[in-house]
Amino acid sequence: MPRIGVFICHCGENISGTVDCAEVAKVSAEFPGVVHSVDYKYMCSDPGQNLIKNAIQEKKLTGVVVAACSPRMHEPTFRRACAEGGLNPFLCEMANLREHCSWVHEKLPATTEKAIDLVRIMVEKVKRNRPLFSINVPVTKTALVLGGGIAGIQAALDIANAGHKVIMVERQASIGGHMAQLSETFPTLDCSQCILTPRMVEVAQHPNITLYTYAELEKLDGFIGNFRAVIRKKAKSIDEKLCTGCGVCFQKCPNKKILSEFNTHLGTRTAIYVPFPQAVPNKPVIDREHCMYFQKGKCRICEKFCPTKAIRFDQQDELIEVNVGAVVAATGYEVKDTDFFPEYGYGKYPDIITGLQFERLASASGPTGGVIKRPSDGRIPETIAFIACAGSRDPAKGISYCSKICCMYTAKHAMLYKHKVHQGKAYVFYMDIRAGGKMYEEFVRRTIEEDEVHYVRGRVSRIYDRDGKLVVRGVDTLLNAKPIEIEADMVVLATAMVAQPDAEELAQKMKVSYDENKFLSEAHPKLRPVEMNTAGIFVAGACQAPKDIPETVAQASAAASKVAGLFSKDELSREPVVAVVSRTGPPEFSNCVGCFLCESACPYQAIEHEEIKTRDGKLIKTVAKINQGVCQGCGTCVALCRTKSIDLQGFTNEQIFAELVSL
Amino acid sequence: MNELQQTAKDLLEKNAVAVVIGYGMGSEPSLRRAVFVRKPDQAPQLIFDESCRQNLAFYVLKPEVKALGKAAVVARTPTLRTLLQLATENQITDESVVALPVGNGSVQPLTNFAAIEQYLANVPRGFTAQEQQELAAIKSKTLADRWAFWKSELSRCIKCYACRAACPMCYCSKCIVEVNQPQWVPVPSDMLGNLEWNVIRAMHLAGRCISCGSCADACPAHIRIDLLNQLLATEAMQQFGAEPGLSVRKDYALATFKPTDKEEFIR
Repeated sequence: MPRIGVFICHCGENISGTVDCAEVAKVSAEFPGVVHSVDYKYMCSDPGQNLIKNAIQEKKLTGVVVAACSPRMHEPTFRRACAEGGLNPFLCEMANLREHCSWVHEKLPATTEKAIDLVRIMVEKVKRNRPLFSINVPVTKTALVLGGGIAGIQAALDIANAGHKVIMVERQASIGGHMAQLSETFPTLDCSQCILTPRMVEVAQHPNITLYTYAELEKLDGFIGNFRAVIRKKAKSIDEKLCTGCGVCFQKCPNKKILSEFNTHLGTRTAIYVPFPQAVPNKPVIDREHCMYFQKGKCRICEKFCPTKAIRFDQQDELIEVNVGAVVAATGYEVKDTDFFPEYGYGKYPDIITGLQFERLASASGPTGGVIKRPSDGRIPETIAFIACAGSRDPAKGISYCSKICCMYTAKHAMLYKHKVHQGKAYVFYMDIRAGGKMYEEFVRRTIEEDEVHYVRGRVSRIYDRDGKLVVRGVDTLLNAKPIEIEADMVVLATAMVAQPDAEELAQKMKVSYDENKFLSEAHPKLRPVEMNTAGIFVAGACQAPKDIPETVAQASAAASKVAGLFSKDELSREPVVAVVSRTGPPEFSNCVGCFLCESACPYQAIEHEEIKTRDGKLIKTVAKINQGVCQGCGTCVALCRTKSIDLQGFTNEQIFAELVSL
Repeated sequence: MNELQQTAKDLLEKNAVAVVIGYGMGSEPSLRRAVFVRKPDQAPQLIFDESCRQNLAFYVLKPEVKALGKAAVVARTPTLRTLLQLATENQITDESVVALPVGNGSVQPLTNFAAIEQYLANVPRGFTAQEQQELAAIKSKTLADRWAFWKSELSRCIKCYACRAACPMCYCSKCIVEVNQPQWVPVPSDMLGNLEWNVIRAMHLAGRCISCGSCADACPAHIRIDLLNQLLATEAMQQFGAEPGLSVRKDYALATFKPTDKEEFIR
């Protein structure tokens, strides 16, 4: 016989304000199976919890219903109280009288009646609860960091410094990401490479970090603590062990006219190349699409000159399989190119460039050595226009979000230009100036007031060429909306920050969710900003949403601390709310008929095949089996199963049915 | 001996199969029944004509038939599709069944699923003109009329489960109506129970039913439950592009999620 205890909480006045708690307790006491029913002002307080603990022992309760707030709030509290009282914690259920009743209804008799119904439902459910036990799964204490930009670098270093192994995968030939391309960084104007490259070297030298550059994630399966990743190491066409990075090969490579991706197509590189002199690892790769040997079958000059004979034209892609316990996605972003903008010439004017290209022009390591020169003729522009929100905040262009960094880097660009070209004129067209951040507003004010950059509040409708000048036509909305026309020598578009072109594919590979802009979605926008809704996968940096370096680094460290937290135990303990496949006696052994249609329905790939065999090993039937480490308890398979052979522990068909029938 | 009989005889003589499941004469001249030919000299029992309608695929799942060994099935087009769907659902393997296609010319044994797929690729798909007409008639009804129609139709159900017994896709060893913890469907033949049973069965067949019509043929109350299944089949086809029984690829409409799914029903 069940012996159920019911505990009605007033939640101060939160529940008792509209619900007659004493009445609920009185009526509940009469429900079949209920042997104890009380109400109390704060059930979650120490005395409240003691009421539960004492009743469990004195009344020998077999189940507890706490009618209080949402289980999201206090289920752990009351389950712990039950455990301390000597009851299996999963024999405790909560009726949500606050969010589901008192908060949403007025003080009426019907409100109390509804509260009574909610308790009745839970009494019927808890009678059918069975003791459950937490599931322990082992943890592989190695993290996989995808992306070697500043987000990945920070996360990898933090995890490695916490004493755990890290595998970093970067698809370019060098780590560093976009930050390595930047000139100076706002708001302090410290040189980007100067602060980044030591970190890059630290990654390469860290004993806990294994670095795979020129590599990509091929496949990821498994579950929190136990992922299995396949990494494709693209053929670099060199033997990294032999290569000393002396650089003879790329000095001798005859194909020198390839546009450099690192220099945003403003400079050139060779077919065998390191992306930039400070690259980590500082060893070249052969770009097979441009290499004369791979394209035309002749050349092999690099091979001839290589002093250590490290060139390997026959090298193949290599697939490496690794076991990891956690994944940090830090795959970064892209910026829209100038050809995205018909009104700004569809990219046909060479002197209309993106902000990222301006970074390369302004960088001391850039193609112009830090001198701001027009890409078309190399002249120093006397008048320059910066256009913020190029694409961003423009639903008509399909990008309704704010790219967040453009206000600041545009101010920085204008400032850098004025520092380098003292007599030059700089205009900034903007919609709003969003300078929220430590020292950000002050920085923008300095640009406007000390460096005398002309800020024009208005959008630019069109840019066209007139006698070698770029005519920028817009409107100054602060001066009675007067049209404004500027003849510029160069225009810099703060083009929108967008997700990597293959972000969607990556998300699907990792089975994580992403938003309409293909940015990866965090589990909760406020309270779980670095977790993803697939347990064990974390997110850092601009692959989640546009963000600047300080924010990226903060998020990367946060993700690293989550990983370190996960790795702090040898085993993971998780709620046993998982699906199970029923077993029955012979001759059926299980109602499962092995159609495995549930297999494709499971969003977590938790369904495996299990062979039921006789003692002498003869196969009787193959049925579904749920991997309890992977199962997230969503119940999709339960709903799909025609024979109702799958049940969700803690929410069994029998329980749900009893709840419904009790009404 | 006609081609079908000869083919069956050859298969049995070569021991390629242990049994040929086909149609034979029934208790009356107009009736046909399933025959299980296990000896080459019994092959002349096999007949095939217009009256042979039953979907024989369902017998290959029976433990008694499985125990005999490899089976050959005389297969009309719906039966072939059933075999592929059963393969999709892991109920039969390539090694367990040979199909003897009838009704479209030569009876060339199809010895594996790939061959059946290839064969079906050249067979016209979709419902017959008469079926389409009947479906359109129901679809043209207002929701209220349609509800009234099905209520009146299903009120005649006596819950004998003949539809289930005839259906090759109803192979569960324990059907939902026999699950009593909890008792999902009330046992007696009353309105609610009838509705629940027939609607649950239709839902369980949505995206799996290959529209062979055996359920309606078997129904002693002459309820056109095949129409209910066909309506859901068209729904699954229109919403998700589901065409069960054309290949062994696992793409059950209710279990797979594609970016191209229209999901108009929840808009």
